[in-house]
Amino acid sequence: MLTYLIRRFMIALGTVWAISILTFVIIQLPPGDYVTSYIAQLEASGDIVTDQEAENLKRQYGLDQPVTMQYVKWVSQIMRGNFGMSMEWRRPVGDLIGERLALTVLLALAALVLTWILALPAGIYSAIRQYSPADYTITFLGLVGLAVPNFLLALVVMYMGFRYFGANVGGLFSPEYIDAPWSLARCWDLMKHLWLPALILGAAGTGHLLRIMRANLLDEIRKPYVVAARARGLQEHRVVLKYPVRLALNPFISTIGYTLPVLVSGSIIISIVLSLPTVGPLLLKALLAQDMFLAGTIILLIGVLTVIGTFISDLMLMWVDPRIRMES
Amino acid sequence: MKLRIVLIILAALGIAYLVINFKPAPAAPQTTDAAAPSSTDPQTTGATRLPRLLDDADAVPASFAEAPMLAERVAADALPPIEQRLPAEPAVIAPTDEIGRYGGTWRAGFTGPADGQNIDRIQHNHLLYWSADVKYVTPWIIRAWDVSDEGKTFTFHLRKGMRWSDGHPFTTADIMFWYEDVYQNEQLNPVRANWNQIGGQEGVWEQVDDHTFRVRFSQSYYTFLTELASLGVAGHFTRGNQALGVFAPRHYVKQFHPDFVDAAELDVQVKAEGFETWVQLFKFKNDPKLNPECPVTTPWLVKTPVNTAQMVLERNPYYWVVDTDGNQLPYIDRIVLGLAENLEVLNLRAIAGEYDIQGRHILMEKIPVLLENQQRGNYRVRYWPSQAGTDAGLFFNQTYDGDAEVAHWLADRDFRIALSIGIDRGQLNEIFWLGLGLTGSACPPATVAYSPGEAYRQRHAQFDPDRANQVLDELGLKQRDSKGYRMRRDGAGRLVLEVQTIGAAFINFTGIAENVTEQWRRHLGIQAVVQELERSLSVTRHENNDVQVYVWSNDGSDNPWAHPFQVLPNHVRSWAPLFGRWWQTGGQKGREPTEPARRMVELYEQGKAVPEQERYALGQELLKIYADQAYVIGTVGVSPAMMGVWVVSNDLGNVPESVPFSTPAQTPGHALPEQFFFRVNGADRPGT
Amino acid sequence: MADASQTSAPDADARIDVSPARLMWRRFRKHRVAMGSMVLLFGFAIIAIGAEFFATTDPHLPEAHRSLMPPQSIRLFDGSTFRPHVLAVRGHRDPQTLQRVYEVDPDRRIPVRLFGHGYEYRLLGLIRTDRHLIGVTREHKGEPAIFLLGTDVQGRDLWSRLMLATRVSMSIGLVGVALSLLIGIVLGGFAGYLGGWVDMTVQRMIEILRSIPTIPLWMGLAAAMPRDWSILRVYLAITIILSLIGWTELARVVRGRFLVLREEDFVKAARLIGARRKRIIFRHMLPSFYSHIIAATTVAIPTMIISETALSFLGLGLRPPAVSWGVLLQQAQNVQSVALSPWLMIPAIPVIIAVMAFNFVGDGLRDAADPYGQ
Repeated sequence: MLTYLIRRFMIALGTVWAISILTFVIIQLPPGDYVTSYIAQLEASGDIVTDQEAENLKRQYGLDQPVTMQYVKWVSQIMRGNFGMSMEWRRPVGDLIGERLALTVLLALAALVLTWILALPAGIYSAIRQYSPADYTITFLGLVGLAVPNFLLALVVMYMGFRYFGANVGGLFSPEYIDAPWSLARCWDLMKHLWLPALILGAAGTGHLLRIMRANLLDEIRKPYVVAARARGLQEHRVVLKYPVRLALNPFISTIGYTLPVLVSGSIIISIVLSLPTVGPLLLKALLAQDMFLAGTIILLIGVLTVIGTFISDLMLMWVDPRIRMES
Repeated sequence: MKLRIVLIILAALGIAYLVINFKPAPAAPQTTDAAAPSSTDPQTTGATRLPRLLDDADAVPASFAEAPMLAERVAADALPPIEQRLPAEPAVIAPTDEIGRYGGTWRAGFTGPADGQNIDRIQHNHLLYWSADVKYVTPWIIRAWDVSDEGKTFTFHLRKGMRWSDGHPFTTADIMFWYEDVYQNEQLNPVRANWNQIGGQEGVWEQVDDHTFRVRFSQSYYTFLTELASLGVAGHFTRGNQALGVFAPRHYVKQFHPDFVDAAELDVQVKAEGFETWVQLFKFKNDPKLNPECPVTTPWLVKTPVNTAQMVLERNPYYWVVDTDGNQLPYIDRIVLGLAENLEVLNLRAIAGEYDIQGRHILMEKIPVLLENQQRGNYRVRYWPSQAGTDAGLFFNQTYDGDAEVAHWLADRDFRIALSIGIDRGQLNEIFWLGLGLTGSACPPATVAYSPGEAYRQRHAQFDPDRANQVLDELGLKQRDSKGYRMRRDGAGRLVLEVQTIGAAFINFTGIAENVTEQWRRHLGIQAVVQELERSLSVTRHENNDVQVYVWSNDGSDNPWAHPFQVLPNHVRSWAPLFGRWWQTGGQKGREPTEPARRMVELYEQGKAVPEQERYALGQELLKIYADQAYVIGTVGVSPAMMGVWVVSNDLGNVPESVPFSTPAQTPGHALPEQFFFRVNGADRPGT
Repeated sequence: MADASQTSAPDADARIDVSPARLMWRRFRKHRVAMGSMVLLFGFAIIAIGAEFFATTDPHLPEAHRSLMPPQSIRLFDGSTFRPHVLAVRGHRDPQTLQRVYEVDPDRRIPVRLFGHGYEYRLLGLIRTDRHLIGVTREHKGEPAIFLLGTDVQGRDLWSRLMLATRVSMSIGLVGVALSLLIGIVLGGFAGYLGGWVDMTVQRMIEILRSIPTIPLWMGLAAAMPRDWSILRVYLAITIILSLIGWTELARVVRGRFLVLREEDFVKAARLIGARRKRIIFRHMLPSFYSHIIAATTVAIPTMIISETALSFLGLGLRPPAVSWGVLLQQAQNVQSVALSPWLMIPAIPVIIAVMAFNFVGDGLRDAADPYGQ
């Protein structure tokens, strides 16, 4: 058991290392570097940079060194707990991500919770009332949630919010709370802004979860023990809720570990459209500006989150299913 | 089961029906106010009232007043009284319409740390500056100047008693510190600035007394004044981060400079702040947008820096500008810029009335939605058109060398003219400019002093596909392939041009290029492929001379000496990168320029050496060549397309109805934002 | 989805001597929604093949005087006679609102007929013709007349563009999945069958690829492809990018199946009687689960389609003048479309329908694939 754990941990470490290399490669793939993007930025506003100035800037940011050197520098920095300095934001990457990561995870969690609140009862109802109009409606809506391009949905919802409800446009806070210290009022303000993006982000997940829940439950309901329970004259809702629902839930609980990272990276597009202060827009901007350390750290962080999630899921599965323990 | 299919299809159709027939609720009827913005012609800028700097000594009021929020601090002894904070010779501004009142928060939007210019433009930190109509250079931080020695020597007089925002006196020491210890420090500034040279010789700066300094050149250099007033030089607030900006708060930043402090101690500080070299630390500390500690001379000082979710600025208690009644400016207490992660959000916020004044990032294609929501959002849309020839020009790379056949055609004047008259510009104006622009060549309109006149504005710009085809046939491009495209002469198949655009710019360059190439395809049988590039890739390719045709606006063409970059080929990022390299390296690298290009640069150099009145004729000749050679094919210009659509709250006063949009003068800076004010009580306004 | 679960005993006799494929098809047919979706997808396929025929107006022709024209509907009756037509419209820009406004010209009717004339094209890339499913009569030939779904800002016909986009997007989905499948089967199959370090390596590859958020992966790969590529090459490159990321899911399915099957009695039996590995894989194992793979593949297509639109949103996908669902949606992704020209968002509907249809077909296949299931 312990050897399995250690082996699994070593593998996870190796994966993280491979991710760090791949991350760096991805960032280096686009032509140019931060300085060229900075020059382009200046030009967009009518400022022209000469060849020599560009060279000077490259030296200042250490971009004149070979790529492998830059990688070694980055990794050794991270080992020491220093994520480096964002070139575009001129702030330590750790600070920048820190404040946004909490909101990102919060958004993902909210989406997850909303997904569960919506999808599970709907899925159960749908399964029990199989082939009823309600079942069709739920299935249809679930699939629509799955199929609608969420960037378009987000924009339409944002516009409607402004046009018909006078809501603030985008963001997770009202302007007066953006810089305010944490307080009850600020939390409440956040809650008021959070549910809508969470809903949009959760739309696809809800559709997905709902369908799986329905299918799992249908399988479960047909099993002999349910038939037996029903034959004994147990009330229908108790028959269903007592065991089949629990069993149908099992696969979800075991995958919860990496659902969160998936949601985090899934929130990128929605965060851009709705201008949410999460890591998503930060990552996209960093990639476009070729802000190496910032982009690299975010990708690495999401990667590590996923690896940890998978690790935890594996452990949970082992706990739940003795056969896997045997195999190792 | 069948029911289910039917239900699904019905639902899909239902949604389709709803979407198709969806019409937003009708907008409240538009008031037929005579001054309604939509009825104002965006081309007329002449008649509007503009703010003005009064530069005679009599204009200085006898007594001064200050904002209530500062009076409170004075009463609490936290601040010296107003008389001690203002210079003996403050700058006096005659406001646009009326004396304003103090208070309020100006809400606006920005797109992140790379959008620093957004704030630079509001703060307009320059030694000299432009009049509101961008027609002449005015005093600003420099109170007065003398040009002597046939334009070789410039003597500048600062305002006595002027102070930095922390109360420390602003003197020539700050200018000489910048010149000697910042600009001439090889580590901070290994590159010599173009604007400080003429004829290859650098200008020499010297201190005369605490309020007087002198700059001497070896040749006449009248446009030095133009340079000082414009974006290229700008000031500390704009360019402190580059260790440029002609002055720096010596008393503050010298503690980060190894010539003034112990190297070991400085090194400790560099490491502690997370930097690698003292140069990085210095540039950070000297950048007020990032470092709120850094003293400034701007109307507002930075409270929260540009690299946060909300940039906040607050009035500078030592601002050295007053109105004609002696009220210290600015009128508005605070500026709050909210971070918008994308332009749709920023524009939608403007549409919703969440901004008080915003022009930067407002996209032209949003005008109908903006107009529809004017009343709801309590704002009006104003047009501040550019005076440049074309908002979207097709720049033909004159030194392309990737493909001999293509290079030949790009450099062929008749070919370019044929392509130019093969464009129906009316189509472009209607689709992309909502009919608000003026069609024509890349030459600025006749109203501009440097313009060679309407004939050149229309040079090679009349749609005439028959003549274009005739010219192309005569040039030897008569052969067409089975699909009707013209073939190359070297037998390598179809002639294909690449048109490069940059996405996410202020103007929809890609859409415009797509339309133009489609027109060429239909009218001329010329195939051109549009490539939209990431901005940094476009820079790399330009530097490598790997571009055939690119689309950009030629802002600055209305005054080639204030902002020459889109007109002249004497730099690498021009329409002739190799010519540019030739000039920049003194003929060492690059390619020797052609005669018209050489003549253009010659005229430009001549113009530097003569006073403004004599320069007009040179500018006209320069722009004649520019238009006649069609290096840049103009489409539609003189429109508010480039950051010229302004959303202005109805509560605001003193915002001019229209000023010309100008890159060198940094609109809206020359509209003097410090004299904008809120008519309603500040406390009643949102965001306060 | 276990909708097709009501099948019961009567089929039992028939099972004896029919191939798995026939068996599956028989069960699939009973799944009505899946069948309906299949028919729908065939419709999409036909549109994709004959896109130009279904188009009404040249999809690339810009025309300022008909910019942002709302959808027109075909009127079937002129008075009481059956004479399909659309009403001609005249447009101008309102000087107050700066919006394009169109007024119906009630006196001018443009007759419409099936198989009428329109712009010239090559059907299937071969036959030169100007016949379209819906077109104008000969005397109106050449007049751009019918805008069933309105026009975009450049005055191009949205309906016709949608037809072309269907071809591009559907084929990206199919080609992309085919590529994913190839990689997925090979790697997943090896991993599942061989086990050991091969399995380990493939597993790690999958884990690493899944741990990196897709957007930077896309951006990195998209930025790596040279921008002077022709539209066709960009199109291929994008399909490859999508499948390079998409294969992991399929590989997991394949690997899982192999793992399970390896221990099945019939495989053990085959091994014991000395069958070669190749024979075991291709003769015994593959046939027993290719139906599962088909099902998994079908469900993977919608992911490709949605990814294609997301790529376009990020500005990494196909670019104009190429037309795809993603390109069309990207052009509708702005405030002025939502507020003033909502018909530009119509391309979301085929995306939704296609994604749903593929899901239903996938469900049906999955249910049908299990010959001994309920």
